[in-house]
Amino acid sequence: MFVTAFLFLSYGASPWQAYYALFHEPFGTLRGFGYALVRTSPLSLIALGTIVSWRSGFAYLGFEGCFVLGAAATSWLALLTGPGERVGPVSFFLFLPLAILFGFLAGGVWAGLVGLVRARLGGNEVLISLMANYVAIFILQYLVGGPMRAPGSLPETRLLPRTTWLPFILPGTRAHAGILIAIAAAGLVWMLLQKMPLGYEMIVTGFNAAAARYAGIDVARRILLAAFFAGGLGGLAGMVEVLGSQHRLMDGISGGVGFVGIVVALLARLNPLAAIPTALLYGGLSVGADAMQRRASIPSSITFILQSLAVLFVLAFDALRYYKINLPGFSPRTPPPVADEASR
Amino acid sequence: MKHTLEMKNIVKRFPGVLANNNVNFTLQAGEIHALLGENGAGKSTLMQILYGFHAMDSGEIWIDGERVHLGSPKDAIALGIGMVYQEFMLVRRFSVVENTVLGLRERGALLDLQRASEELKELSNRHGLALDPAAEVGSLPIGVQQRVEILKLLYRDARLLILDEPTAVLTPQEKDHLFAVLRKLREDGRSVVLVTHKLNEIMEIADRVTVMRDGQAVATRAIGSTSGQELTRLMVGREVNLRAEKSIRKRGAPILQIENLRVQDETGHEKVRGLSLEVHAGEILGIAGVDGNGQSELAEAVMHLREIKSGRVLLNGADVTGLSVAKHRGAGISYVPADRRHVGSVTEMTVADNAILGLQRKYTRGLFRGIREARESALGLVARFGIRTAGIDFAAGKLSGGNLQKLILGREIMRGSAALVVEHPTRGLDVGAVEAVWGELLRAQQEGKAILLISAELEELLNLADRIAVMFEGRIMGVVDAAGASVEEIGLMMAGIMPGSAPAAAGPAQEARHRETL
Repeated sequence: MFVTAFLFLSYGASPWQAYYALFHEPFGTLRGFGYALVRTSPLSLIALGTIVSWRSGFAYLGFEGCFVLGAAATSWLALLTGPGERVGPVSFFLFLPLAILFGFLAGGVWAGLVGLVRARLGGNEVLISLMANYVAIFILQYLVGGPMRAPGSLPETRLLPRTTWLPFILPGTRAHAGILIAIAAAGLVWMLLQKMPLGYEMIVTGFNAAAARYAGIDVARRILLAAFFAGGLGGLAGMVEVLGSQHRLMDGISGGVGFVGIVVALLARLNPLAAIPTALLYGGLSVGADAMQRRASIPSSITFILQSLAVLFVLAFDALRYYKINLPGFSPRTPPPVADEASR
Repeated sequence: MKHTLEMKNIVKRFPGVLANNNVNFTLQAGEIHALLGENGAGKSTLMQILYGFHAMDSGEIWIDGERVHLGSPKDAIALGIGMVYQEFMLVRRFSVVENTVLGLRERGALLDLQRASEELKELSNRHGLALDPAAEVGSLPIGVQQRVEILKLLYRDARLLILDEPTAVLTPQEKDHLFAVLRKLREDGRSVVLVTHKLNEIMEIADRVTVMRDGQAVATRAIGSTSGQELTRLMVGREVNLRAEKSIRKRGAPILQIENLRVQDETGHEKVRGLSLEVHAGEILGIAGVDGNGQSELAEAVMHLREIKSGRVLLNGADVTGLSVAKHRGAGISYVPADRRHVGSVTEMTVADNAILGLQRKYTRGLFRGIREARESALGLVARFGIRTAGIDFAAGKLSGGNLQKLILGREIMRGSAALVVEHPTRGLDVGAVEAVWGELLRAQQEGKAILLISAELEELLNLADRIAVMFEGRIMGVVDAAGASVEEIGLMMAGIMPGSAPAAAGPAQEARHRETL
């Protein structure tokens, strides 16, 4: 924050004013808070997906792909329920579970494929999942440009039927029920990782695959499961965005949220309960950045710098914590290949 | 008598630990001086200070009556101090001579390997090292590689050699050779510091011994005026009984049967070659052998942590060969792996979480983990096995080796399995912990468990096992009764020589084995 203040100065704006705009809009006004919640929902779902996969030792980066496919699957389902379509209007309470299922499955299977490659063939999930993002984005472009395209000039679908929209939860704002889904998901992820034997096995797998095998844990299946859950959460993020905020499927719908969500998860130190507040802070900052740009005419990219610096400082803090004891002269053991253990 | 080396009032503080507390240590020319102590007693710290690896907080080091400053290993080497680490610092692809001149720049920019080779040959002959300067280091057996390390020091004309646990990886015969070399060095007027916790070796070769405990040098004795009993007491600070009390018991029914097992390692080399064994209830069957002769692969294959090429594993007469690890555990085989920190435990997780590793599906309440039951069992383990920990919510990685081993062993014993596979249970542990682990293994045996004990320590096997099977190149060379076993006989079999047969037959095979494993 302090560092960024200097950046503000270079634009001739008072840092205090800039920060006021940055935080007042999302956290001081109802409207802004609503927008912040809108951005928080998919961010926190992606962050939760990251937490599940990374804590299981599966460094998945393919949330963009899961996001767009989850969005596409639920859009397709929603469009089917439009008036005059094959299925016709259905009750929202029937539609929502189906949409969750579709969104989850679309993302889950997509990520599961990457998990399968890693678990069975030993492929590198970082590379494959990154590449898979592009494939998914091209699939989306094909869908909105071809089979699902609405008459008109833009590559996008028709507006989804109103019956399929997630309800707005704060009167006078755009905040929708997606945040509730995200909170519920956070609770479930926390329960899985902390309270269930399956989660224990996934965490053991993440820490130490050799110990996991030794403990009779089927490492390949746990990784596959982690990939499926993670991708499913990414798919849900797409569902929430399309049903809650965009209300139609279009090219570029993700806007990079699949990567920002990973950053949020890292900032939350892979703690599922911290994911929502962190995502709220992050979502809020991006809303505030827009406001700041309007009012103080400071480019919103400054906020991006602020966010990036925050990540760097958190990571650097980690490094400092780990390496403090190894400062020259204090080092308890410079890595000597000696069997003696200093701490008994 | 003139002291070659005097270390006076050495103090070294690490955060939270006083590693060396006013240590005094003297070394005379032409003496083999053993430095004895448990893990964490400060002996490695002391030697690393002497080698310039650590800076001391206070104290003085005098060499030949001159006060010296050791800022880095370079200074130490210049003063004629050399150190052989437990893990050798050799480039495996290089020849002996290349390894020896590595890092030396005295001859200018050009290497003169020819001249170095001749000097090495001369040095090697003079000290009985029996080394060929042209041999590639990676192809040499461990014991010979160690001699390369010594040769390196001699080439730099080190007068003071520090050897850190030099015998940990050697067969009895290789050990004898090493000791012969050390005696030659002593005749030559050089001094040797032997860092070790093996009493019998100290009694065999050292002239004097300094015992360290809790960062202090508690005593220095001439070997002639002390006994193993006294040294143990000095080292541990109390009486220790390391002679395991073996009571007479009847051998029960066969529990664990291994039939014609064949297993490969990752690179496709066959490491277990048609091996058959039977472990009975209430019996400890020891597997002796130099590391890398297929013992680890055998243990892993029994648990099906490693694919079995052919052969069968039977538990209580039922074939468990192809079953998953979880099913092996369910069927009643427990396993204490050699690598405590990377296989047997998850060091990042708490003691409580490690106490249920492998049992995570047992401590459940419906869909959820039975966290309270798991914690209770963890507390039970800590109490029953005397695990020293600040609490069960601390990371298991913070435990000392001995306490971590007690946690793993306790967990595997308390599962109530009929068979227990234990691999190197006391490797790197200090005497107190060894005593505890041995006691628990014998107790498990009394309870009628069938125990397969893999160890490289003959002393351990002779103390604990009822029968000892010697493994060499994936085969059992022979099975002897521990009661009437002779160390020489087992040692020969460990080197691949059947007692009474011609030793030449095993020679080339042994070399091939080392090429595979090293």
